[in-house]
Amino acid sequence: MWSYHQRVASIGFFGGFIWSMVGYALFYLNFTSVGPALALDPWALPDWKKTYIGHLVGIIFLSILSIGVAFLYRYTLQKLSSIWPGVIFGVVLWGIVFYFFHPIFPSLKPVTELDADTIITTLSLYILYGVFIGYSISFEYEEMERSQS
Amino acid sequence: MGKERKWRWKKTKPPRETKQEKEKMPISTDLKENEAILKERLGIGINFDVGVRTLRLLDRDLHLYFVTGLCDMEYVIELLKELMRLESNNREDRPDDVMETIENHLTHVQVEYKDTLDDCIVEVLSGLVFILVDGESRGIVIDVRNYPGRGPEEPDNEKVIRGARDGYTENIIESTALTRRRIRDERLRTEIMRIGDRSQTDVCLSYIDGIVDPEMVDIVRKELESIRIDGLPMAEKVVEEYIVDQGYTPFPLVRYTERPDVAAAHLLEGHILIIVDASPSVIITPTTLFHHVQHAEEYRQAPFIGTFIRWIRFFGIFASIFILPLWLLVVLEPQFLPDPFQYIGPSEDSNVSEFMQIFLAEIGIELLRLAAIHTPTPLATALGLVAALLIGEIAVEVGLFTSEVILYVALGAIGVFATPSYELGIAIKVMRLALLIAVVSFGSAGFVIATLIMFLLLVRLRVFNKPYLWPFLPFDAQSLWQIMVRTTVPSLRYRPRIVHPKDPIRQTSD
Repeated sequence: MWSYHQRVASIGFFGGFIWSMVGYALFYLNFTSVGPALALDPWALPDWKKTYIGHLVGIIFLSILSIGVAFLYRYTLQKLSSIWPGVIFGVVLWGIVFYFFHPIFPSLKPVTELDADTIITTLSLYILYGVFIGYSISFEYEEMERSQS
Repeated sequence: MGKERKWRWKKTKPPRETKQEKEKMPISTDLKENEAILKERLGIGINFDVGVRTLRLLDRDLHLYFVTGLCDMEYVIELLKELMRLESNNREDRPDDVMETIENHLTHVQVEYKDTLDDCIVEVLSGLVFILVDGESRGIVIDVRNYPGRGPEEPDNEKVIRGARDGYTENIIESTALTRRRIRDERLRTEIMRIGDRSQTDVCLSYIDGIVDPEMVDIVRKELESIRIDGLPMAEKVVEEYIVDQGYTPFPLVRYTERPDVAAAHLLEGHILIIVDASPSVIITPTTLFHHVQHAEEYRQAPFIGTFIRWIRFFGIFASIFILPLWLLVVLEPQFLPDPFQYIGPSEDSNVSEFMQIFLAEIGIELLRLAAIHTPTPLATALGLVAALLIGEIAVEVGLFTSEVILYVALGAIGVFATPSYELGIAIKVMRLALLIAVVSFGSAGFVIATLIMFLLLVRLRVFNKPYLWPFLPFDAQSLWQIMVRTTVPSLRYRPRIVHPKDPIRQTSD
């Protein structure tokens, strides 16, 4: 049986993996103009970062980055047991990426210039991602509390 | 309510009656008085199937009450023979304690004393017989039940290629016996209770003590005991609606099975069974969505093949929900189509809009399915012929449907049929229709937002405080692995965490 921290790490990793895969699928179906390769945007990399290799590397990068996101959630909001903190967490993450960190993504257009489909799809993805991480961690926390009592 | 009780209780729960147990009528020592009351209450003389046999025994009057058809007359005759022999053997030497002598001569395994007429009446109407003796304030109840019924047969909707072919029957005693035949554990508990003020239906709560979460058993037992309905003719479905809050969710919240091996496997994982008399379907609870997409067949095949079957089924279910709405979306808004798939989309102009075509075809398939349920077998071929010709050929030729619509609608329908749980299949169909309506009304935004909302509603759904989408969300990598891959049985070390088993270890590896 895994420990709590192992579970948090796995939630982060697979949360990043699953939802960036879904993001790639939606990118392929033209629902959004930004794919997982956005994560590689701040780095100066050869041309492959614009092809499918860039997206796959982006998926792996996001999966690993999400472990950190999961621990961030674990040390701040783990005690809130509902899906709503996760939803808000996702929306806030989206705001951070698309507004706050906007300058570090040279190829990302400002939010005001993005098309509606992209905004709706990415926002939905971030909500799902936030719920996935938030709800899973608070559930694991409850389970841990339960087994200790 | 504490933190654990977070699921919503049924809002329309009828007010719990505060009435005390109805005053029960004691058995009078005067047999004549009892006879008059019973004649009135059981309608003896009006009912043709309730009867009484009177005997004179050891200088006392003795009445034996029975319901024909529910008890085995062979045994009753055997009992009467023995009582008559008792009378003829003891002509000179009268025993002191008549009641005890009679009890000692009842040649049956299950013999019990009852103190009130009400208890006796309930028992006789369940098919037992009871004996009242003049001058005694107790009755003797003998279980000679023999219900009309069928033998265990393979359930129609849970067939396997290999393995056990027996299935639960309408008889609760046979059903519990079929379970116990598979689990000889002394800790297997089968609690029985009567539900329904008029029907007095037997309901059995079954679990393995030491594995099951005792809190869970208490909750289910309490929910069952608080049912105050007149009768349960629809058996397990009525019970289900009392113990889980279905609300407006189309998704099945408990799993039904008619297979004793499936039920036994779930008992060993720490689930609870609810068996209702007069129905072969048994409730397994608590369950999550992923319990409804597994099938006994996967465990009858090699792990690799089992995994393969499961993945094909998952793909089928997934495609059944999303392919048709996505196709409609790319037809309405072709810019979503990736370049390699440009050939998708109707090539010829149709007279009816794509959405209406899909909608009509879906309704048509649903109608055919409904019709097929109660079409007698000899007519089923004719029905199939009409269906194939009507929808498949003529509709295209007339120009009502395009062939592509039929292809994708059929794909969706096959996914529904491939879902092991009939209830889940219909829920999937409803989801697909909702997505189609969202797509036709709001385009791509409708598709994305409708999917998001449906997903979040499923995430929020809890059955007995167990998240419905577990182990996907809340995510549990180890448990999800067990679902994605049908692993070998020797490698299964732990029971699923979600049921909170008291003993989490399934097998030890030495």
